[in-house]
Amino acid sequence: MDPSQAVREGLIPLLPRLRRLARALAGQIADADDLVQIVLERALNRAAQWRPDAPLDKWVFAIARNAWRDEMRARGRSQNLFVPEEAGVTAADGSSAPAQKLELAAAVAALPPDHREVVALVLIEGLSYNEAADLLQVPVGTITSRLARARTTLQAHLGKDT
Amino acid sequence: MNPIDDDTLQAYVDGELEPASAALVDAALAHDEMLARRVQQAQALRTQLKAAFDPVLDEPVPEHLSALLQPPSPQAATPAAPVAMARHRRGFGAGRRRAPRRWAMPAAAVAASLAVLAVALWWQPGNDLVRVQNGQQFAAGALSKALNQSLASEPDPRATVTIGLTFRSADGRICRTFVEHAKPAMAGLACHHRAGWSLPVIRAAEQPAGGELRQAASDMPRDVQAAVDARIRGEAFNAQQERAARAAGWR
Repeated sequence: MDPSQAVREGLIPLLPRLRRLARALAGQIADADDLVQIVLERALNRAAQWRPDAPLDKWVFAIARNAWRDEMRARGRSQNLFVPEEAGVTAADGSSAPAQKLELAAAVAALPPDHREVVALVLIEGLSYNEAADLLQVPVGTITSRLARARTTLQAHLGKDT
Repeated sequence: MNPIDDDTLQAYVDGELEPASAALVDAALAHDEMLARRVQQAQALRTQLKAAFDPVLDEPVPEHLSALLQPPSPQAATPAAPVAMARHRRGFGAGRRRAPRRWAMPAAAVAASLAVLAVALWWQPGNDLVRVQNGQQFAAGALSKALNQSLASEPDPRATVTIGLTFRSADGRICRTFVEHAKPAMAGLACHHRAGWSLPVIRAAEQPAGGELRQAASDMPRDVQAAVDARIRGEAFNAQQERAARAAGWR
């Protein structure tokens, strides 16, 4: 099987998890699926760079994280082109979702990018500290300290409701 | 015994501690209510995050995304690149800008030929036959009505939309090819979703010479036919199966 076919077929079962990661990173549903599209295109273009002994999910998650960072930078330069946040549908689900889920999703979306990606990878995707450190190319200590600060922020948010 | 520090507590909640260290925390939790409460809060946060984001896993994947992972068809392979690049340049934040999204959407819906783009520019979603929902094109108006009601086995010579093949796709959806005869004539493929008939492929169709009504299936542009070939599981429906599918609401 050639690499692009292996990657393409391997990505199909990963789509739901990739969409969840994108939702946690990008926040808005439309943004998240646009991000997924960019990630799929990049992954297919770079299929030759994937080593078959490496887990495809970590590889594509790293592409997703980098694509998201690229887009954030691009967006930073052209901030005025975009309508304000409240114009879109927010991350976790439409009108039927309990208010708390929406609020928590909004709190995640409000985290600084460094914190948000750790929350997305460790708390939502379920990666280990080592896997997240590997993917983000930072020391494990950086993962734990970012995670701790993100938790404090999110916990404070939940504390308002309880 | 050493007090449990914050890092250790967090690692405990995240399942990162060695069994021996975890046992130490367990022991401490048994007699330290404050500690137990902090662990409980951290665990609750994990649970609530999962509850907030896991429903995404059960959402149907938008067709324009899964279509990117279909094996490339001979027609689609070459022209897809410029579309992808154009899309890429827009960035993901651009989705909320209405006009660009609407223009880009048909291209995203399939690994598209430039012909689709041309068709899309000229046959704008927002006219009566197409609507866009969550970035996907769906049949509307007379097209939607024909897809819901018309049977290929009972063609209506006055109808502006002719149904060609009806079949079940590999992902379990019922799909139907159609030709819309009003000028400019369009042909395409529609697949049934809860939200309506999505339109993975729409193309300009050649008008039969002399304007006579031909078999819709033979009118199909090659890439519509290729889209059918890529999706179909088993045989196209016969008249009885088509009628039964309509009675079952195309599910």
